[in-house]
Amino acid sequence: MAFALLSIPKRIYKTLANLRTGVVLLILVVIASAMGTFVLQRPVTEPDKLQAAYSPQMLRLLDRLTLTDIFHSWWFLTLLGLVSLSIIFVSVERFPNAWRFYARPYRKTDSHFRAANPYRVEIPIRNADQGLNAAERGLKDLRWPVERIVEHGETSLYAEKHRFSVMAVYLIHASLLLIFLGGIIDGVFGFSGFMGIPQGEQRNVIELKNGKKKQLPFSVRCNSAGQENYADGSPKKWWSKLAVIQDGREVESKEIVVNDPLVYRSLRFYQASFWIDGKKVHGLRIAYSGLDSKVIPLELRFHQPVNLDADTTVTLAEFLSDAFVRDGQVFKKSDSIENLAFGLEVVNRSDNSSAKVWLFPAEGTVLGADQVKFQFKNPTSAKDIDFSPVTGLEVSYEPGQSFVWAGCVLMGVGLFVAFYMVHMRIWAVAVPDAGGRLVLWIGGAANKNKDRFEQKFEEVVAEIRDEIESTTPTIRPSAPQTKEHPELTLVNTK
Amino acid sequence: MSTRARVTQIEPPAATGGNALLVLVGLGVAFLLITALLGAAKAEGTLYNESNLLYVALIFYAGAGALYMGFGVTGTAKYVKYASICTAIGFVANTLAVAHRWYLSGGPPFASIYEMLLSFVWTLALLTLVAEKKFGVKIIGSITMPLAVVCVILMQLLPSEVRPLVPALQSTWLHVHVTLAMLSYATCAVSFALAMMFLIKDDFSTDTFLAWTCALVAGIYAGIVATRFERWGGLSVTAWDLQNKSDVFLGRGVRLFVTIPDLGWLFVIALVGAVAPLAFYLLGRARHDASYIAVANKGVFVGILLQLVVLGAFVLRVKDSSYASPYQEGIYPTSLAASPFILGGMVTGVFASLLYLMLLWRRNDLQDLLPSSDTLDRVTYKTICIAFPLLTGMIATGAFWANRTWGSYWSWDPKETWAAITWLVYAGYLHMRVTRGWRGRRAAYFAILGFGVVIFTFLGVTYLLPGLHAYA
Repeated sequence: MAFALLSIPKRIYKTLANLRTGVVLLILVVIASAMGTFVLQRPVTEPDKLQAAYSPQMLRLLDRLTLTDIFHSWWFLTLLGLVSLSIIFVSVERFPNAWRFYARPYRKTDSHFRAANPYRVEIPIRNADQGLNAAERGLKDLRWPVERIVEHGETSLYAEKHRFSVMAVYLIHASLLLIFLGGIIDGVFGFSGFMGIPQGEQRNVIELKNGKKKQLPFSVRCNSAGQENYADGSPKKWWSKLAVIQDGREVESKEIVVNDPLVYRSLRFYQASFWIDGKKVHGLRIAYSGLDSKVIPLELRFHQPVNLDADTTVTLAEFLSDAFVRDGQVFKKSDSIENLAFGLEVVNRSDNSSAKVWLFPAEGTVLGADQVKFQFKNPTSAKDIDFSPVTGLEVSYEPGQSFVWAGCVLMGVGLFVAFYMVHMRIWAVAVPDAGGRLVLWIGGAANKNKDRFEQKFEEVVAEIRDEIESTTPTIRPSAPQTKEHPELTLVNTK
Repeated sequence: MSTRARVTQIEPPAATGGNALLVLVGLGVAFLLITALLGAAKAEGTLYNESNLLYVALIFYAGAGALYMGFGVTGTAKYVKYASICTAIGFVANTLAVAHRWYLSGGPPFASIYEMLLSFVWTLALLTLVAEKKFGVKIIGSITMPLAVVCVILMQLLPSEVRPLVPALQSTWLHVHVTLAMLSYATCAVSFALAMMFLIKDDFSTDTFLAWTCALVAGIYAGIVATRFERWGGLSVTAWDLQNKSDVFLGRGVRLFVTIPDLGWLFVIALVGAVAPLAFYLLGRARHDASYIAVANKGVFVGILLQLVVLGAFVLRVKDSSYASPYQEGIYPTSLAASPFILGGMVTGVFASLLYLMLLWRRNDLQDLLPSSDTLDRVTYKTICIAFPLLTGMIATGAFWANRTWGSYWSWDPKETWAAITWLVYAGYLHMRVTRGWRGRRAAYFAILGFGVVIFTFLGVTYLLPGLHAYA
């Protein structure tokens, strides 16, 4: 058999160039993708959730079968690669024919075509010139670009619209490949990760999705960050003021919000989240009273002394998120946020003494108040404590994304042309009909949306008929024929 | 035709006006009863509000559905006109509800699954009117209107208060993305309805419709029984927090379930009621004996009654009652709002069975009313030609938005993946049609499959699979 003689590459090519293979591959992609949504996937699931969902043996089995990371497994990528190859090969197989059709349109009809064409009309004419001229005028009136084809001394007319739409399908497939290409470039060269930067600090390490860390050649400083809330307390907006620091210099700065990233050297920094670090405080609003018992509000920043009177200053010096007291001493209990404690340092310059006052807002108690002449009040609500904000940045580097967006735009154009622009053709030629009478044969064809074309075709025929009648000196309506257009055979093509 | 002969065995309503009207009124009353119960389940404030508007829309959509069925049963042409008017009135009420919502939230209503359903139903009603007026597929509403009713019922139950947008959702691209999604999903729904119409017109065997209807209903009840049947016959439903109007959560994403004693058995019985006709059908096929199929048809009738009983029992037992939970001490309230998808599934089952009965009794009349199968086939193809570019646009804008928000345009999140699967299924349809010349039946199956995938992407993924699209 001839097939057996084909070399293996050629056989592979032939198999992949078969549309049926393409469809089988697509079905496999669908099945694999669906599996990837039913089995929890490692890259998007926290490890403890996975352990809760599956037994250890099951998890090991799933891991070994690469079912916990289908979309990055070698076999899924191979599958996508085969789909791409199949698209290319099928297109290569079909392209020459389509190109021939496109580059050398069928302008001149032959008798077989005329007999079989579903849209055709025959109108009696006196001579060829009269018919063709009338047809040309009619088509031009309806804004069809019409050509006169002269071959072997015989003249005929050809008009067409939207020929390019037959090539749209290649545009669509090419755009799909372009999107794949962008995806591959990003898969190979791109990376994405996360960076949490506390206010006032700078970082240059990204935690990648796979748990590894990546160092950047520059650092990013968060100058400030914040959250705006709706009336019900749910977050409305997150913002952070970022600066890029390279070689000790600030080279770029921007205030980012969700949906509006900072871009530096093709790396994009997105505002992804925002939280408060309960272990760090940068400010406190309390009140104090002196000997006259007048209560005065007091705003403290970390390590910034505030004058209480001519000799006395107070400084917010220490903060513990979970503290306990033993024998009049304050100790750190844990890192969690339980029993907050603020250590204020009160310095008296006149006698050069200093004392420590501790505030415990949870209990409402003050420790060491007897050592100073001022009374400090605890902060009354959580709003009075300025915890240190941390901005959560999603960092990504996607060099291939311009291909993806170009592909999307091309696909949009391609789909529009393929679905909504119809390649319509009309031929007209003067020939003798079955009875030997000279008629103008008008035929039409459309590659889709046949019922719309049917209307257009009837419109063209009516126009040409009018033109012919207006140039026929004695109007002789050969009775039923012109009235009911018996020649108009509209065979419905399914 | 043998179908004709069998029909006489199971009390087909006579095609006289009076009797038909009776059927019609019966159906209408049934609808109104269900909706009244549902309406009462929700506390209402002022008269002019979205909930009431939706209720009006629901009644008119249901009325339209009933009239379409009445039309199917009696073949009285004026019913179609009234059904069309009902659809139009429902559409107006729906539009007002959308506008009210838009005004309240200050932005297009796309932020939660409630708002998306609202837009979906609106688009569906619009497209139904278009398909009726432009393409002359007059009884398409008999499939799309029940679908709209199921969606409105879901909406009546889902939490509806306007929640402010979390930062990730504040983007014009989101609106473009969701608009395209709703347009394409509604178009897919219409193509599904047209494909069903095609199968009816194309002499697709009534018996096979029987099998698929029973399989659908059995699937719904099997799903409920498999996931919610508790030992000793209870049915577990989510506990409902009356104050916050939300499900009760034990932990992040872990809902608290309460058990309604004995209700589980009813669901098992309904499941048997759906499986039995299927079994008879299969037996009849295996033995080439039409009498089994006649029994199966009677079984469907009994099945509908069973489904209605179970639905009624479910509504009565769930509404404003409190039950013990096996997971945590104490008695917790539950509400219809806590189980929208069980209820939605049950109502879908009733509608599917009713549509089958309509087909069984009035197949020939229905066929006479439909345009030619060629036209139906072509219009199905046309709707998919509209849906496919919309789907493509939806995925592209979604990717663009995700890229601006999370810094990655494709992260294989389940919703994304299923959107891609939907796209591939319709791409498969187009390839088969254009290059292999698939027409008629096979193309119709593909359109039906495509809509199944759409439904799963829209609702199934949100409720069954975890992912980034948690809020939608």
